[in-house]
Amino acid sequence: MGSLLEIRHVSKSFPGVKALDDVSMTLAAGSVHALLGENGAGKSTLIKIITGLQHPDSGEVLLDGAPVRFNSPREAAARGIAVVHQERNLVPRFSVGENIMLDRLGAGSLSRIDFAAVHEEAARWLKLLDLDIDPKTPVSRLSVAQMQLVEIGKALSLKSRALLLDEPTASLTPAESDALFAIIRRLKADGVAILFVSHKLEEVFQICDTVTVLRDGRNVCDSVPLAGLGRQDVVTMMIGRAERISSRAPRPRPETAPYLELRRFSSALGHREIDLAVRPGEIVGLYGLVGAGRSELAKSVLGLHRQTGGETRIADTPVHIRSVADALHHHGIGYVSEDRKGEGLILMHSVLDNAGITVWRRLAGRLGFLHGRTVARAVRPVIDRLEVKTPSLQQTIGNLSGGNQQKVSVAKWIAAGVKLLIVDEPSVGIDIKTKAYLHDLIHELAAGGTAVILITSDMPEMIDVADRIVVMDGYRIKGEVENDRNYDRVSQAIMTHIHAQKAA
Amino acid sequence: MDKRFSLQLLNNDWAGPALISLAAVVVISILQPSFLTPFNILVLLSAIAVNMVIALGQLVIVGIGQMNLALGSLGGLVGVCFVGAIEVLGVPTPVAMLMGLAIGVLAGMANGYIIARTGISAFIITLASLQIFKGINLGITKAQPFYGVPDIVKQFGNTAVVGPIPWLIVPMLIAALGLWYLFRRLRIGRYILAMGGNRQAAELSGIDTVGTDIWAHAISGLLAAAAGMMLVARLQIGQPTIGDDWLISSFAAPVIGGAALSGGHVSIAGTFFGVVIIAIITQALVLFSIDPFVVQIVLGALILWAVGINRFREWRFAKMVTAGA
Repeated sequence: MGSLLEIRHVSKSFPGVKALDDVSMTLAAGSVHALLGENGAGKSTLIKIITGLQHPDSGEVLLDGAPVRFNSPREAAARGIAVVHQERNLVPRFSVGENIMLDRLGAGSLSRIDFAAVHEEAARWLKLLDLDIDPKTPVSRLSVAQMQLVEIGKALSLKSRALLLDEPTASLTPAESDALFAIIRRLKADGVAILFVSHKLEEVFQICDTVTVLRDGRNVCDSVPLAGLGRQDVVTMMIGRAERISSRAPRPRPETAPYLELRRFSSALGHREIDLAVRPGEIVGLYGLVGAGRSELAKSVLGLHRQTGGETRIADTPVHIRSVADALHHHGIGYVSEDRKGEGLILMHSVLDNAGITVWRRLAGRLGFLHGRTVARAVRPVIDRLEVKTPSLQQTIGNLSGGNQQKVSVAKWIAAGVKLLIVDEPSVGIDIKTKAYLHDLIHELAAGGTAVILITSDMPEMIDVADRIVVMDGYRIKGEVENDRNYDRVSQAIMTHIHAQKAA
Repeated sequence: MDKRFSLQLLNNDWAGPALISLAAVVVISILQPSFLTPFNILVLLSAIAVNMVIALGQLVIVGIGQMNLALGSLGGLVGVCFVGAIEVLGVPTPVAMLMGLAIGVLAGMANGYIIARTGISAFIITLASLQIFKGINLGITKAQPFYGVPDIVKQFGNTAVVGPIPWLIVPMLIAALGLWYLFRRLRIGRYILAMGGNRQAAELSGIDTVGTDIWAHAISGLLAAAAGMMLVARLQIGQPTIGDDWLISSFAAPVIGGAALSGGHVSIAGTFFGVVIIAIITQALVLFSIDPFVVQIVLGALILWAVGINRFREWRFAKMVTAGA
């Protein structure tokens, strides 16, 4: 098959950094192309150049062999190139149909909208995706996975011949991802060219035909067939060395008394009968499908949501945690949010202010004065230890890469010297190198006596890091699995716990 | 059944304010029978008509997720331009009216264009244009009112179509129904709400956000202009101070009526009852000769209460969105 979309020798520089350096890539009709690379390798920039959000300094984009230059995603969409972004881009109060047809509601500003026709047309695209959703349903009623699929329907309805999917499975469960892959395969059979950006290599090997790997803004490989490549080959290309396979030995359970203990804990959000204990030096994993109530449990423990029953004990003393400030300053509990940008960091502020925010209260002088130097002295060692790549502590954190941002959001809790750290989905959108680093860090913290609760939907990560794994579903605890790092046995056991209740 | 009934009412934007309006009317008319005399109703409805158009001018901007602080100063400017054109320049009344509306639309478009192009928040831009419109107003009037309001305009502002229904209700109805249709059925109305609901989504869907901003502010300016001239008709004088006191009630009514201050959700009927509640409270305090400062306090408390209710609704809505189906 011929090439539909071709990137030829594209370079793009931003002040201080060469984001893309002579990058090429070819998308063929009727094939799925993986675009891989660590964070900061240039994937996002490449997508922005394809869709006209940015223009290359040199090189060109060719559509059907002819050079094109789009000034906006609208122009790209008009020529059949659609993007499904990582962020949800639907209007929640509008119907599914209206969202799909949003840019085609009428010819002019004062055109009357024919909702019957809109919903009928939308239904056609939903049907094409085998989606059993009434186009009149408000988007706010959909699950995250359904929203994702509606966005794909929306992209297709633009008669797209090239579909760029940016981390489409980041918020999907394995079953939902499989449904998505079935659709991708069908689109492929219909001759659509698909670009698939993902950090999950298992998925890439499952559905992609060809692959382009970027490292530091350059091609490591340019559109080579994936067949014949092994997982290790790809990883080596991405990070420049082989991935270290988990070789951590199972650790014995500490004999100390639990630092945090929940007894028949229930919350205003609907948690019931939660019994959970975490000992100093222990890493307890909370596994569950999306919506199982894991992050919500963490937030309830932190005092963000009301505890309605049961008991919370810290170091064997019953406590009542009223607020996050209370949790941190009186009980030494820190929380690394899954929503790094929304909840974890203040993107406009400096690295220093972000990492130091937890220690201000401790370091402030008698009159509440705070010296930048005092904070820097507390923060600097941690930033150095975590190898955060930043020109200075004064750098605005929004300018750092995702991996480095994540390091800072962990750093601030280490600086605060917490005794219990709750880490929620630490590696979403993080490259393999930083991920491995974070895993080591969590282990180091535990070895130093910190109690850790790890929330992740990434099974390999869970099995690599946790000492034992508590399985949650429907805001309850379904069971517990001792982690002996035997992937097959442990993942089996976890799934059994989750599905046991489905049958009940 | 009680619980389901009340829950349903809570979901409905206008039912709550409507019930409160009704209760207020009943209570006040029992305590003070003169409340329901035809003349008093005429006065009340006249106030409601003008305030509704003002509130609608703000509602459009709330719908797109912004604020228009310049609403009142633009309405005031158009009011004095309208009378000034007739008195000083001898322009025929209908032409002066069209000029007034045109000024409103153009000034609104300018606001919208600057907001969309610079990306600076509407709060700041309209704060600046508030000052500019007011300055032009004072420059034209030298802070003295125009007295040359034609009789036909005075009559329009102070007589009834039938019984206690004032003529002023007519432009209010046109504005309310027009806007209702716009938000329900017209592309531009849906675009305004889409941008208010999720600006990024609207933008990435290929909606012309600059054009939509300009449209929304143009409609807001048009309504401000209409309200300014309606108030001239009612007061029978081209007061340079017209519009100075619009700001608080222009936000209060849509918010009481269930509009989300973050944008994307508005209710015309709810806004209407919001206006009614404010009008009744204001009038009742006059009827019972209560100090006017109390009106301010009550209005402030009302806004807090309404914002609280909306906040609860949005929280529940957000929970529904994250919880999924």
